[in-house]
Amino acid sequence: MSEKKQPVSRRQFLNYSLTGVGGFMAASMLAPMVRFAIDPVLEATSGSEMHAVVDVSEITTEPQRFDWTVNQVDAWYTSDVTKSAWVYKDENDEIVALSPTCKHLGCAVSWASNPDYPEEFFCPCHEGRYYKSGLNVPDTPPNAALDLFEYEVKDGTLHLGNIVENTVQEGGA
Amino acid sequence: MRWKKKDLELFFQSKEYVDTLCIPLVPLDLQTESEATKLADQNTSLQIILDELERNYTGRIMLSPAYTYIRSTDYESESAILKQWTSMFSNNHFKHIFLLTYDVNWKKHERLLDSNLIWLTATTIEDYQSDHAKKWVNEQVLQISELIRSYW
Repeated sequence: MSEKKQPVSRRQFLNYSLTGVGGFMAASMLAPMVRFAIDPVLEATSGSEMHAVVDVSEITTEPQRFDWTVNQVDAWYTSDVTKSAWVYKDENDEIVALSPTCKHLGCAVSWASNPDYPEEFFCPCHEGRYYKSGLNVPDTPPNAALDLFEYEVKDGTLHLGNIVENTVQEGGA
Repeated sequence: MRWKKKDLELFFQSKEYVDTLCIPLVPLDLQTESEATKLADQNTSLQIILDELERNYTGRIMLSPAYTYIRSTDYESESAILKQWTSMFSNNHFKHIFLLTYDVNWKKHERLLDSNLIWLTATTIEDYQSDHAKKWVNEQVLQISELIRSYW
């Protein structure tokens, strides 16, 4: 009788409020879990990072070395890592950004550093040589062409990103 | 190359190409603040120079972990231990071994050593990210590598 006056019974009220609170708690637990679960998918879209390296006007047809610093986070510590690239414009006015890392054992190569080979990249460690295009000179220790950097030009500044394989087949010497 | 698993695996695959070893000599002293901070700072700058050297000559230079010792040591007995290091390394084939240090005492005891000692004159760098410091490091690396290359 008195229950009829109350549209919501004590039992119902407790049920509703427990469902409500329980649902809220479940949601607050699940929401971050869902976020974590789909995180790799979201991450992939913002993958490669580009770093501003040099003003495009400074790039000539002669390869020049440019350095930049990247803040690298490893599992255990953060460190500033210096990176380098040899950058020039080829005959089609296209920018070429070569990695200085020798494909033999990883020394740093430099342009025209050996007077005997003024138009080649030279590795001081074991006399590896590369043509201007980055292609390795046959019969020297390296067995692949110098890697390229992905690049883009934004507001007159060259940005360099990930290293990609250099598929060049002919020498640019 | 460094004393790291990945580098050492590559080292054992291409041993014949890696014939040069660099060992930094790092003194320790905690008696006074000014001396301790000076030595720590020198350690940092030596490490930066050697990191850069290693980056440029990865394929031919192996960078050893630092040989660390107490500064007030007796350099005669210290050099005997150091000799054990270098003979252990050279038995395993390194043709050129270079010891790099800011500690002038090694220069005074150079005759006790059987490796090439490269003694660098000390300097204090406040900000390692400044253009001035980068230029200085590059200059040091250039000169040291020129010296090392003259042995190759």
